[in-house]
Amino acid sequence: METTTQQDTVTLTIDGKTVTVPKGTMVVDAAKTIDIEIPVFCYLEKLGPFGCCRMCLVEVEKMPKLTTACTLAVNHDMVVKTTTEKVVKAQQGMLEFTLLNHPLDCPVCDKGGECPLQDNTFKFGPPDTRMEYQRQNRDKATPLSPVITIDRERCIACQRCTRYSEIIEKDQALVMLDRGFQNRVATFNDQPYDTRFSGNVIDICPVGALTNTDFRFTARAWDLTNASTLCGHCGCNCNMTLGTRLNEMKRITTRPNDAVDDGWICDKARWGYDFTKSKNRIQKPRKGDETLTIQDACRQVAAGLKKIVEQYGADGVGFIGSGYGLNEELYLYQKLFRTGIGTNNIDHKTYLDTPGLPVPQWDLPAVEAADLVLLIASDPTEELPILDLRIKKAVTRLATQLVTLNDQTTLMDDYATPSLRYNIGSDAAVFSALSAVLSGQPGPGLEATGLESGQIQSLADTLKAAKKVCVIYNPAGLTGASIHHLKQLLSVIGQLPDTECGALPSAPATNALGAMDMGVLPDFYPGGLPLADVAASQKDWGENAPVKPGWTALEMIEKARSGELKALVIFRSNPLVDFPGGAAVLEALQNLELLVVHDIMETETSRVAHFVIPSNGPGFDEGTTTNIGGRVQQRTRGLVSDNPHDWKIIAMIAREFGDETQYKNVFDVTAEIASKVNGYAGIKRKAIRREGKTRETIASVNGRLPEAEPTVADVAGSLKLRVADFLFCHDKILDADSHLAHQFKPSSVHLHEQDASALGVKAGDEVTVFAEGWSVKAEAVISNRCNPGGVVLPKISDQQGVMGLIHPDHAVQWVQIKK
Amino acid sequence: MTQILFKGIDTPNLTSIDVYEKQGGYAALAKAFAKEPDEIVEMVKASGLRGRGGAGFPCGLKWSFLAKDVFPRYLCCNSDESEPGTCKDRELLMKTPHLCIEGMILCAYACRIETAYNYIRGEFEEYGEIMDRAIAEAYERGYLGKNIMGSGFNLEMYTHMGAGAYICGEESALLTSLEGGRGEPRMKPPFPAVEGLYAKPTIVNNTETLCVIPFIVNNGPEAYAAIGTEKSKGTKLVSVSGHVNKPGNYEIVLGTPISEIIDKFAGGIRNGNKLKAFIPGGSSVPMLPADKVDTPYDYESLVAAGSMLGSGALIVMDDTTNVVAEVLRITSFYMHESCGKCTPCREGTRWMHQILLEIQNKVGKPEQLDLLTDICDNMSFKCFCPLGDAAIAPVLSSIKYFRADYEELLASAKAPVA
Repeated sequence: METTTQQDTVTLTIDGKTVTVPKGTMVVDAAKTIDIEIPVFCYLEKLGPFGCCRMCLVEVEKMPKLTTACTLAVNHDMVVKTTTEKVVKAQQGMLEFTLLNHPLDCPVCDKGGECPLQDNTFKFGPPDTRMEYQRQNRDKATPLSPVITIDRERCIACQRCTRYSEIIEKDQALVMLDRGFQNRVATFNDQPYDTRFSGNVIDICPVGALTNTDFRFTARAWDLTNASTLCGHCGCNCNMTLGTRLNEMKRITTRPNDAVDDGWICDKARWGYDFTKSKNRIQKPRKGDETLTIQDACRQVAAGLKKIVEQYGADGVGFIGSGYGLNEELYLYQKLFRTGIGTNNIDHKTYLDTPGLPVPQWDLPAVEAADLVLLIASDPTEELPILDLRIKKAVTRLATQLVTLNDQTTLMDDYATPSLRYNIGSDAAVFSALSAVLSGQPGPGLEATGLESGQIQSLADTLKAAKKVCVIYNPAGLTGASIHHLKQLLSVIGQLPDTECGALPSAPATNALGAMDMGVLPDFYPGGLPLADVAASQKDWGENAPVKPGWTALEMIEKARSGELKALVIFRSNPLVDFPGGAAVLEALQNLELLVVHDIMETETSRVAHFVIPSNGPGFDEGTTTNIGGRVQQRTRGLVSDNPHDWKIIAMIAREFGDETQYKNVFDVTAEIASKVNGYAGIKRKAIRREGKTRETIASVNGRLPEAEPTVADVAGSLKLRVADFLFCHDKILDADSHLAHQFKPSSVHLHEQDASALGVKAGDEVTVFAEGWSVKAEAVISNRCNPGGVVLPKISDQQGVMGLIHPDHAVQWVQIKK
Repeated sequence: MTQILFKGIDTPNLTSIDVYEKQGGYAALAKAFAKEPDEIVEMVKASGLRGRGGAGFPCGLKWSFLAKDVFPRYLCCNSDESEPGTCKDRELLMKTPHLCIEGMILCAYACRIETAYNYIRGEFEEYGEIMDRAIAEAYERGYLGKNIMGSGFNLEMYTHMGAGAYICGEESALLTSLEGGRGEPRMKPPFPAVEGLYAKPTIVNNTETLCVIPFIVNNGPEAYAAIGTEKSKGTKLVSVSGHVNKPGNYEIVLGTPISEIIDKFAGGIRNGNKLKAFIPGGSSVPMLPADKVDTPYDYESLVAAGSMLGSGALIVMDDTTNVVAEVLRITSFYMHESCGKCTPCREGTRWMHQILLEIQNKVGKPEQLDLLTDICDNMSFKCFCPLGDAAIAPVLSSIKYFRADYEELLASAKAPVA
């Protein structure tokens, strides 16, 4: 063991101090570990050595010249000196060069106070300059995109941003143009630099050249109050710092956590916060037009629910939550409905899924450690952007192979070998066939899948040959009940003799995994506990805990329409836009005797509710979320609203139902979760404070495989619909005033060229997509994004009404396209 | 007069393969194919041939540094001749392209390379076309392509035109440019022989260097090693420019005194003037005063004299010259050609140019000489690539040897207008 360690580490001396670091470490990083600062501008560990700023010159014994510590890997018995006369002169010389044409407009520069150029000058710089000439005048305050402003006078050409674009984003969208002292950071033809991850260049810029257009001149860095919090958009839960001043949102910056975000955030995380100050926020509780106090609202909602329970029984009420709530909020809601009211009419989603996995839950870094990543029905670029960067890193810089298995083409396919495309709706058959080949059983035919047996065989061989397989799947991207086939496939891969397998269930919602874990499900209690087990042991949930399966969210809508469900509490969900069913959803909601909406923003649904209660949401809330890697992290508040925390509101309603539990703060709820929810035992406030902590794998209770494979018979003149998620969707969160409005795309429908030519549709034609008595207008894109016989309709706004095209039966939806 | 490269170079139509063959061209191929590749490498080592691009690194040694058993590997002929004062490769490309091709084939065979590129300076459009025609002829004769002359050896050859950047003459910037990237030097190590073009082992050799290889293969390494001095073997093309009566390219035996190059080859100083200064190896090397004119023109002697042989461009200045004007011109070149990647070169060249311009315009200040010296010190061996060090050589050497020229301009400086 010891010999291995010696081989993998290197011991050297820096300024007389001995340090032992892993082989391959750069001298600059080795010095950091013993608190010796070697100044840098261009170097960033994530980008690797580059050596252009020449700031980190050090003296190394036996080397005739000074050398850059950022490009020099450590070596045994190396003797490095960072404070000799020669080094000090070089440092002062470099800083003089660096500042030669720098405008020194620190008093009005946004970077002031957090600027490496200021800091290095203060610590290592010459006291003065010998430059006597007019400093070079360059473009000031030039938009690089609607959200990034570049000041070319301040740029020191360190190339961090352009290398980020090349190495991390893999776009080469931002490049150096021109030569010598005229070189500049720019894009081809001065097109906007508007990638999904552009904002990170602001954080890594070591000077005030790349600035946040929204933040410019609104506050000094030292006047900000910084909250260490999490992004509230997708399921990655990237760590970020929320900077506020006088309770006003100012900016969001990265807060690197290698286990989650690898130091980056996407532009939606950075600029998608206008909802925190939107006029569309629900400010006060109300009943109809009457404004209520929170206390009155809770009391009246409870009274209304009680009345329905008395009249129709507990199953007359239901709860629709959301994958966007915090664990504590969702936990308390399900507890209220199960133990306070006595119903399992609890759900949070419109797709089918079951809690838990038949293989270990893996966390995001597993993507890098795996030798094979199998990406199923998932489009990380649009759904979970930071996962996109992680996969690109693994494939292009580590030895990971990516295989995509999807019904639509995604940008990830560029990195995949191979990328397999199955027909829309044939997922169950594909998963079954693959399971069958892997376990040597006869499988279903592949006729309707668009794939050939050779492809399945070769994928099976690849899986068998792999040592570590990381499966990432999006349950929301599946059709029918194929999630059960997928979980069976996982368990088959998990049983391969030479293959270690783990999985990341990657639904796009912030806390989709947490919502499953918290038991916001009609057929499972928290921690994936099936109803049968609850019946067997009711010690955790009380003798009256309901064991009869509840209705799913879609069933609740249907039962509301039929009159069997009388009251519905909807938390952070907008069924009128986000649920399938079209006009029937409105009919159902209007049929309810009591509709309570607890949400951040006014929605189509809140406008038809009897009671509306404000939810705080990201920025204002506190508690935990569980990301797609099963990592539980803490969200802290950066802003204070006039309303109590959501968990307090829910507890107030619960108190009306006799739940007298006293929670002093949100962590008392977290502690209760730790004590009652499988997998969450180690989730303590202290344990998760810094980098979060992964919860234990929750064992899966596999749903029964449907007996027959769904038959997908062709419907003449119709095409199968796949709704795709787009990162920048014009919804209630990114509304028209959003800083990201420039990213909104027009409504488009992606057709295969064969279908397009059969329909006589040309690229750019305005077409209408029809189904279920509903229609959506869209521009035709002939992109072969899916196999022939299907169309992909990206969800680009709430107005577009895509979900109205879908019948709420989970089956493949057929649509017609007309010019 | 020993001629290896320029022998028969003015034969009419030498660019055509027929004429070239008639002169014994491509004869080295059969001789080489009869040997093992490694034997060719040993021959080149034994010949003592050193790189003619500027650094003078032993050619055979460079070839032997190729990462073992890593394929594919590449050959890049560096025809990005841009060093001020240098125009020797241009003459070879223009007049005897097949010599270059033959040399490249021999190198590729010796190093087991199957793809070769000739990276030609952007401004040499015409010679790129000559080269393209020559390559097409060589393919036609079966000297390029699959199974060359039945040897089982394959070689594809391409020309690639640069876009007009001095820095692309630096081998790693050349490779980046060849890959389609922005011409900026790369970090070394890894050296090209280990990770070069497309991260594969790559040989980068100057045009003149490769043009010598057929002679070595035809006549044996001993024949080549017999020419020149003990450590500087062979002949060298010298581009003589400046205040001489017959500027031009001359092939000299290494070790020939500079005075002889100026007087015998280049026809002496113009108008019977006296020599004041000369730059022996292109603008990147220190200039020397007239009293060093008897220095033998070879690698070692020039280093001993305080300069370098560089690319072999002898720039001659007579006693009517104020060297500050020349230094300003050269500094302007480096400012213009600095790629901008590293801070000291990008900022330092421009700053030096600003100062030199003031001195030249007689508005300078005496303390600027110390400032210039210190800027040079802050750049010296601290830049990313040798361009920065090249830029300071003329400044430092001119201050050392011709301080009087600066002082004359400074003394006549007018008080700046308030």
